[in-house]
Amino acid sequence: MTTPLSEKYRPNKFSEIMGQNLAIDKLKAFFNSFNMKLAKKKAILLYGPPGTGKTTLAHVLAKEVEYELFELNASDLRNRAKLDEILKPSTLQKSLFSKGKIILVDEADGITSTEYGGLAELIALIEKTKFPMVITANDIWQQKFSLLRQKCELVALKEVRYEIILEILKEILEKEVKNVELDLLKSIAAKSRGDLRAALNDLQSVIYNNNIGEFNEKDIGEREKNLDIFNAMKNIFKCKTTKETTEAYDNVQMETDQISLWLEKNIPTEYHGEDLARAFEALSKADIFKGRIYRQQHWRFMEYQNFFLTAGISAARRIKSNAESFTKYQQPTRILKIWMNNQNNARKKTIAEKYAEYTHTSRKRAMKDFFLISLILNNESAKKLDLSEQEKDFLEERKNSLRVMHGLNRFAEKKV
Amino acid sequence: METNHSSNIWTEKYRPSNFEDVFGQDEIVKRVKNLVGSINIPHMLFSGPAGIGKSTLAIIVAKELFKEFWKENYLELNASDARGIDVIRQEVKNFARTKSLGSVPFKIIFLDEADALTKEAQHALRRTMENYTGTCRFVLSCNYSSKIIDPIQSRCVVFRFKLLEKKDVAKVILKIAEKEGLKIDDRAIQVLYEGSEGDCRRAINLLQASASISPIITEEIINILLSSAKPKDIRVVLDYALAGDFEKAREKLLDVMLKESISGTDVIKAIQKEVWNLDVEPHIKVKLTEKTGEIEFRLVEGSDEFVQLQALLASFVLVGLGKN
Repeated sequence: MTTPLSEKYRPNKFSEIMGQNLAIDKLKAFFNSFNMKLAKKKAILLYGPPGTGKTTLAHVLAKEVEYELFELNASDLRNRAKLDEILKPSTLQKSLFSKGKIILVDEADGITSTEYGGLAELIALIEKTKFPMVITANDIWQQKFSLLRQKCELVALKEVRYEIILEILKEILEKEVKNVELDLLKSIAAKSRGDLRAALNDLQSVIYNNNIGEFNEKDIGEREKNLDIFNAMKNIFKCKTTKETTEAYDNVQMETDQISLWLEKNIPTEYHGEDLARAFEALSKADIFKGRIYRQQHWRFMEYQNFFLTAGISAARRIKSNAESFTKYQQPTRILKIWMNNQNNARKKTIAEKYAEYTHTSRKRAMKDFFLISLILNNESAKKLDLSEQEKDFLEERKNSLRVMHGLNRFAEKKV
Repeated sequence: METNHSSNIWTEKYRPSNFEDVFGQDEIVKRVKNLVGSINIPHMLFSGPAGIGKSTLAIIVAKELFKEFWKENYLELNASDARGIDVIRQEVKNFARTKSLGSVPFKIIFLDEADALTKEAQHALRRTMENYTGTCRFVLSCNYSSKIIDPIQSRCVVFRFKLLEKKDVAKVILKIAEKEGLKIDDRAIQVLYEGSEGDCRRAINLLQASASISPIITEEIINILLSSAKPKDIRVVLDYALAGDFEKAREKLLDVMLKESISGTDVIKAIQKEVWNLDVEPHIKVKLTEKTGEIEFRLVEGSDEFVQLQALLASFVLVGLGKN
C-alpha cells in the first residue's frame, strides 16, 4: 500500500504551510502566552472545512517547539472511560522525553455530547490541563459545542485558495516524477473546493492508475464546500431574492431543522413590523410542509419547505436593506433552553410517576398538580412512594422555596 | 383498604372502599352494586369529569367481587400515559393469559382516560376486548363519552357520572378535617369547592397542601395556593407583542411553556380566551381570533409548535403597530 500523498507531503515547518498565515500567527501567539501563563484560555480550537490543515498545524507546532504531541482521535474515544484513561495521566505528569507536551484532540465533531459524557469530560480536561491543548473540528457552530467554544481560543481556517492548491499539486508531481496534463490538474484543483487533502487524494488516484486517459472528471467527487451559515443568512436576509436564493443552504452542512432555528433566532434582528410577520408566515408554512413530510413520508414536499425557508423569508423584506451592512448573527438558544429545562424536570417527572401510580391517577395530571403534590408529600409518604434520597432532597428544596416564594411561612405559627 | 388507611396521601387514605362510602353518585352506585351482586358483570364505560369517583368505583367493584384476591385480578392502565395501543395490548395479553384467582371466572381491566386514545387505537382496543371477553371484563373511563367510538360504546353499559355538588364535596372535606384535627370554616369550604371545580381529588389535595402549612385552613391560604397553581402569564406575552417587543414576547412565551410544561394547544386556547380582554377594537379582535384559529389548525398540520406560535406573535406585533 502506498502512503497517501497527503501524509507523505505533510509539512514539517510553518514555512512550508501555504495560505494559512493568519492561523499560524494566532497559534504561535497562543502557545507563547500559554507558556508565559498569560493565556486566558488553555485550549485553542482550530476549525474549518476538511483538508485545510488543522491537524497539520498542530503537528508542525509540536515539531517547531520540540514538544511531544499527544494525539487523541476523538472519533475513537467516544466514551468517558477511555478519555479518562488516556487523557488524565498526560495532564497530570510531565513529559519525560521532550521539553513538554501538547495535547491534540483531533476531529472533535465526533465526540458525543451527552450519552457518554465525552464533551463534558473534554471540557473538564481543559480546565485541569497543565499542557496546552489543540482541538480541531469542522463545524463548531453546533449547539453541543457552545460550552467548548467559551473555553477555547477560536481560530478559523479558510479553504485553501485554488492557485495555492494548483501550485502544491505541481510541486508534488515534480517530486514524484510524474506527469499529468495541466488541464486535468486544474480541474482537480477546482473541484476540490479548497480541500487540499481531497485534491491530493484525487491526484494520487490519477497518477497511480496507469490509464490516465480514462480518467473522468466526474470521478473527482464534487466536494461540498462548507459555506458557513453566516454567509447563508447574509444571503437570505440582505441580498436580492433570485432563483439562486433557493440554493442558499446547498453548501451549509447543517440539518434543515438547525437552519430553521438559526432563521427563527435572527429574523427579529433583521426584520420588523410587516416584514417580520411575513417572514414568520414563511417559516410557519415551511414547518407545515415539514409536518406533512413526516406524516405522509412525501419527500417531494422538501422542495416547498426549502422554498419557504429561502425565497420565502428573503422576499418577506420590502424595506430595502443595505447588503453591505454587517449583522452579527446569533446562534439559536431555544433547544439549549428546552434541554436545560428537561434536566431540571427529570426529577420532578420521576416523582410524579411514582405518585401517579400510587394514587391511581395519570402522570400528566400529577405533573400538572405538582405544585400541590410537593407540599403534600412528607417523609412518611415519601417512604410509601419509595422515593430515592435525591428525590427526597429535591422535594424538600422545592417545598422550602415554594413556601418562601408565596409567603406561606407566615401562616405556620398558628395552632388550632 | 388496610394499607390505604395508614397512607399519608389523603386522596388514598380517604378513598372510599365500599359502595356505602361513595358520595353523590347514588343512582350509579345502586346499579353497579346490583350488577356486582349478580356476579356476571358486563363491560362498563364510566364517563364524566375528573375527580368524581370513576376510578374509586372501579376499585370498589374489584374489591367487592374478588375480596382478598382483588389485587391479583385487577389491572389498572392509564391510556394517556401508556405509550400507544401496542403497549396496552401487550399488558392486557400478559394479564389475561392466566386464569382468575378465586371463584369469579374473569378478571377486571380498568383502562383510565380511554378517550386519550386515537380512533385507530380504539378500534384496536375493541378487537382486544372481543378477544378476551371470555376471561376479562373491561371497565373504561373517559371524560367525554362522545370521544369513544360507537362500536366500543355499544359493547359497554355506559354510566354517566354527575358533577359533585357542593354538599357532597363539603361532606368529604368535613369528614377529613375532623379526622385530621383541622379547623375549617364555611368560607374556606366554599373557596375550596369553587377552586377545584367539583373535582374531589383536587379539593382533597388543596386541603392537604393547606394543612401542610397550617392546621387552620383559611380562605386566604387556599386562594394563594390556587393562584400559584394557575398559569397566568399568557397575558403578559400578548402585552409584550402588542407593544411591539417581539423578542421579549417570545422569550416569555418559551419560559411559560417550559415552566408550566404546557403544550402549544394549551397556549392557543389561553390566547384565544384572552383576545377578548385585550384593549383593541372589536374588528381587530375578530382578525386576531381568525389568525389564532388558523395557527391552531397549523399546529395540527405542522411539526414545531413554537415556530407556529411565533408566527402568531408576529401578527400580534403587527396589529399592535397599526393601533398606534
